[in-house]
Amino acid sequence: MRRTRLHLLHMFSGIAIAVLAGIHMVALHLEEVLAFFGVDASEPTSWGAMIARSSQGIWVGIYIALLAFLLYHALYGLRGIILELTPSARKERVITWLFVVVGIAVFIWGSYVPISLLSS
Amino acid sequence: MKQTAPRSNYLGVGGWIWAGNYKLERYLYLLHRITGLGMLLFLTFHLTATTVFRIQGQEVWETTMALLSNPWLKAGEYLVAAAFVYHGMNGLRLILQEFGFLLGKPTPPIYPYKDALRKKRLWVVVMMVVIFILALVFLFDFIV
Repeated sequence: MRRTRLHLLHMFSGIAIAVLAGIHMVALHLEEVLAFFGVDASEPTSWGAMIARSSQGIWVGIYIALLAFLLYHALYGLRGIILELTPSARKERVITWLFVVVGIAVFIWGSYVPISLLSS
Repeated sequence: MKQTAPRSNYLGVGGWIWAGNYKLERYLYLLHRITGLGMLLFLTFHLTATTVFRIQGQEVWETTMALLSNPWLKAGEYLVAAAFVYHGMNGLRLILQEFGFLLGKPTPPIYPYKDALRKKRLWVVVMMVVIFILALVFLFDFIV
């Protein structure tokens, strides 16, 4: 049952990423399309625009949620690909725990930066 | 008595590409895997730029963004956008089919048989058309 739940979470995180990364991609890459709909999103990667986004709680929330879903989805997916190469049970445990540690470490660092920039 | 070693059916990474009689959906699955691994590689660069470099202040950020405006890197960025569109739409199709949607009603096995793959094929084509349109929208914004 545990593996079924992990797989369900993989699918759920995929849907969450499609929504959250979709918002991220449209806001940062579709300036011309957004301009057509009357939204001014020129130079979204400039320092000023980035700081303006970083000071809004909603964007920080989107980034942190996206990071959590992305890390789970990507590392669980990569683990699945590696496990297809039939490593031993011991290696499987090592890979699983390595991914858990890496995922948590990257999540802590990746959420610390936007939170610290929230007040800047 | 002569002993012969059993034939190994373990194909390793080679089995991703071909293990006999692969259909279109199997290659979409392979592309799903390749785009996933490619985006994971991009994620490591992207997270480095948006955390390690961003926290160092305006000057380092602007130098990084100037570096990323290189046309080759822009083309690479478009490939990531296209991979995202593909991986997302194909993933959505896989999720819907895993939960039993888009599969059509069960039919009795009367000749000429219509296999499950062909019943699903329409949705595969619809998904590919949507991916193509979304990839074109992103291409438009990357070249304008």
